[in-house]
Amino acid sequence: MTPFEDELRSALRRREPSPDFTERVLARVAAAPVRRASGVSQPWIRWVAAMAATLVLAAGGLEYRHYQGERAKSQVLLAVRIAGSKLAKAQRKVQMLSHRSSS
Amino acid sequence: MPRRTAAPLAAGGLDFASLVRQHQSMVFSIAWHLLRDRAVAEELAQDVFLSLHQHLAEMESPEHVLYWLRRVTTNRALDEARRRQRRPMVSLESAPEPVAVTLTGDPMLGTALRKLVAALPEKSRAIVVLRYQEDLDPTEIARVLAIPVGTVKSQLQRALALLREKLTRVAGQAPGLSLGKE
Repeated sequence: MTPFEDELRSALRRREPSPDFTERVLARVAAAPVRRASGVSQPWIRWVAAMAATLVLAAGGLEYRHYQGERAKSQVLLAVRIAGSKLAKAQRKVQMLSHRSSS
Repeated sequence: MPRRTAAPLAAGGLDFASLVRQHQSMVFSIAWHLLRDRAVAEELAQDVFLSLHQHLAEMESPEHVLYWLRRVTTNRALDEARRRQRRPMVSLESAPEPVAVTLTGDPMLGTALRKLVAALPEKSRAIVVLRYQEDLDPTEIARVLAIPVGTVKSQLQRALALLREKLTRVAGQAPGLSLGKE
C-alpha cells in the first residue's frame, strides 16, 4: 500500500449516517405492508407445482387422444352401417330386377 | 458469492435492528461516496435495509448478509447515479479541478480526493470505493459488480493513475497541500 493509497483509504473511510438512522429504518419496516410469505417462493413447492401441472397436461393430452380415437371409431362404424344399408338396398333392387326379367 | 452455511441466519440469533446498527455505516458510506449527496444516500441506505428485511428469510449467514448489502447498495447507488445525472458525465481528464485556493493543508487533502473520486465514471468510482472504503481485493470487487477481475484491475490502475496525476496538479496550485512521498 503506497502513501497515496493510504490517503485514499483515509479520504474514503466509512461515515456514520444520522443518529436516528436505525430508528427511521425500523419505523419504515413497521409501516411497510407485511409481505405475505408466499408458499410458492419455496423451491420444493415450485417443483411440486410444476410436476403437477406437467402431469395434468399429460393426462389431458392422453384423454384428448383417446376421445379423438373413439370419435374416429364411431365415425367409421357409422360409415360402415350407411354403406351396408346402401348395399342391402342395391341388392334388393338387383334381385327385384332379376325376378322381373325371369318372369 | 460467499459459501452459504446450512443454518439460516435467524438461527444465529441476529435480529434485524442489530443488523442495521452493524452495517449502517458501510451501506450509507458506499451510497454517499458514490452519490455525494447525504440525503439521497440516507434514503437509499434505508431502502436497502427495507429490502434486506423483506429478504431476511433468505439470508443464511452473516457473511451472506454482508455480501448481499454490499452488492445491492453498490448496484442501487450506481443505478441512482446514472438515473439522476446530477452532473454531466465527464471523464476524469476533463473534470474540473477542485478549487485550489481552498486547499490549505492536510485536512483538505481528503476533500480534494473525494471530489476527484466523485468525478470518476460510475464504474471506476465504485471500484475505488469498494477497494479503499471496504478494503476488498479485486476478486471480491469483481464478484460484487459482476464484472471480470481483469477489468477491475485495469480500471483500478487507470483510476489511480488519473487521481494521482490530478492531485499532483491540484497540489501544485496549493502549496499547503501535503501529498506524502512514496
